[in-house]
Amino acid sequence: MAEDLRTERKGLILAVKDLPTLPKVLDEVARLVERSDSSTEEVAKLISMDQVLSAKVLKMVNSPIYGFPGRISSIQHALVLLGFNVLRGIIVSTSVFEIMSENMVGLWEHSLGVALASSTVARAAGLRDPEEYSVAGLLHDLGKVVATVQLPELKGEIEQAVKTKDLMYIEAEKEVLGFGHDRINAWLADHWKLPPNIKEGLSYHHKPHLAQLYPDMACAVHIGDFMARVFEYGFGGDDNATYLRPEALKRLKLKPADVERILDHLCEQFLEIADLSFS
Amino acid sequence: MTQDTDSGAAGGGFARPQIVTLLTPDAEFAALMQGLWPTSVMQITHFARGRRAIENLFNDPPDLLIVDEDLADMPGLDVVALVKSENVYRQLPVIYVISQEALASGRDWLAAEIDDFVARPLRPAEVRARVLLTLARASRSFDANPLTRLPGNTSIIHRIQELIDRREDFALVYADLDHFKSFNDKYGFSRGDEVLMMTARVIVNTIRSLPGIRSFVGHVGGDDFVFIVPPEVAEDACRRLVATFDGIVPSFYDPEDRERGSIQSTDREGRLRIFPLMAISLAVVFNRDGRLKHYGEASQIAMSLKKKAKENPKSCYVLDQRRGDPPPFAPDFPD
Repeated sequence: MAEDLRTERKGLILAVKDLPTLPKVLDEVARLVERSDSSTEEVAKLISMDQVLSAKVLKMVNSPIYGFPGRISSIQHALVLLGFNVLRGIIVSTSVFEIMSENMVGLWEHSLGVALASSTVARAAGLRDPEEYSVAGLLHDLGKVVATVQLPELKGEIEQAVKTKDLMYIEAEKEVLGFGHDRINAWLADHWKLPPNIKEGLSYHHKPHLAQLYPDMACAVHIGDFMARVFEYGFGGDDNATYLRPEALKRLKLKPADVERILDHLCEQFLEIADLSFS
Repeated sequence: MTQDTDSGAAGGGFARPQIVTLLTPDAEFAALMQGLWPTSVMQITHFARGRRAIENLFNDPPDLLIVDEDLADMPGLDVVALVKSENVYRQLPVIYVISQEALASGRDWLAAEIDDFVARPLRPAEVRARVLLTLARASRSFDANPLTRLPGNTSIIHRIQELIDRREDFALVYADLDHFKSFNDKYGFSRGDEVLMMTARVIVNTIRSLPGIRSFVGHVGGDDFVFIVPPEVAEDACRRLVATFDGIVPSFYDPEDRERGSIQSTDREGRLRIFPLMAISLAVVFNRDGRLKHYGEASQIAMSLKKKAKENPKSCYVLDQRRGDPPPFAPDFPD
């Protein structure tokens, strides 16, 4: 792909000003922050289900204006540091998708599923701060959303390529855009000064064996992505199960018995949120 | 919730008459200024020449300096430069009086340390608005901490004394960080500043999350903060603050130190030591039924409570349990 076309597309993607979300969670959060008796925990729990609101909150709290860029990877902490005033500002300035496609709803569900699965994997592997793995899982496909918003004319082409050529979404992205959403994630994470562990989860979830700084994060999200697809919770853009890299299981010291235990646990968790819908 | 500064300037009335020094050869302008406010609001001293005014400015700096561009004996900007080049006078706000011609031909506005201007012809309504806005702006920013922008010492003392004088019940909480110095030594000042910014934000938002109260947050300097809340919510505020601070602070360490839960750094004697992660210590002084007479009493009680809080290496708060006793003798421990 021509270097200048890539640069142009990268510029377009990073220029994202208005990142819309789905109305359901937005409405609920708006209602919650208007009440004087709602707690930060309640609001954080709700925001942690929406990849766009979560991304906006983390982008804001990690911006240099607040004075500690790249430090905060927890939604709960971000909300305490921003305060309800700033959060209200974010909520009122967030728009919703004009056309809510079925695929978008599916992507939101998939992201929530991966969030849940990634933190479950992290817990099973005995990693510290499993909530941070949940955040990385939630945001692992954010690049797909941003590309859809900023390069809408290419979105159809990608979906077409997935269908006609039976490609994985990431393969179709590479064919149409010249790069995958993992690369977009890395650009966004740098541009928004997201913490390095979150960045690693976002940009290496398809190739966890290459992660250098926070391989645990990349591995947990990789396995989480695989599991959400196994349970067919939501829609990640294609119907294929991803290839589960054995290196990821090895790195987290997860044995087949552990994987089984995680799957059982997730089965219950997915049942619990089965009624939840973004549409 | 109000997070107001100590001056009532923004709200209309000033807490005391404002002192204004006016340097202009223009007798008409001087008369206009004198006519805008009664002397109980604005006390204006007029000088037609620059040199005579300078000693007066340095000895007894006003709240506002208004300088005409052309003084008989020197350019107005020279007076401004003289005042603004000294750190102790820099916060004195300056309004510059300029002609339309000079305005049109331009000035080096970035170099001239002027806070605002009025252009001839001088209209009373505009002059009045400019003067009030400049004073209000200066009172907002004059002792704000340069890092966190929270009100500084003068505002803090003023606020405490004001509450004492009004015999209002309040809880005054002194907050500081344990092991901040060792963190700074190991990670450097800019990482230390990150922690201070975080701490300021945590205090402000924790207190704001208590519904429907009047409160005040100030930054004494370094890792010392204060806040004032109604006595009945003080303990709840402290409990929330400790929990939030302890939850967030590990994020400010490198992964290895965070994992270990401690850092290696040098102590005050220069010896290598292991330090735990930073913690927040809170000392709470209550003023009930007009017990306190002076700001100094509050800070004295707080300092002895703080020593108690510091004995606990973890984040904690210590409440002043005395009821109406005089402040205790506080031995001067070497810190």
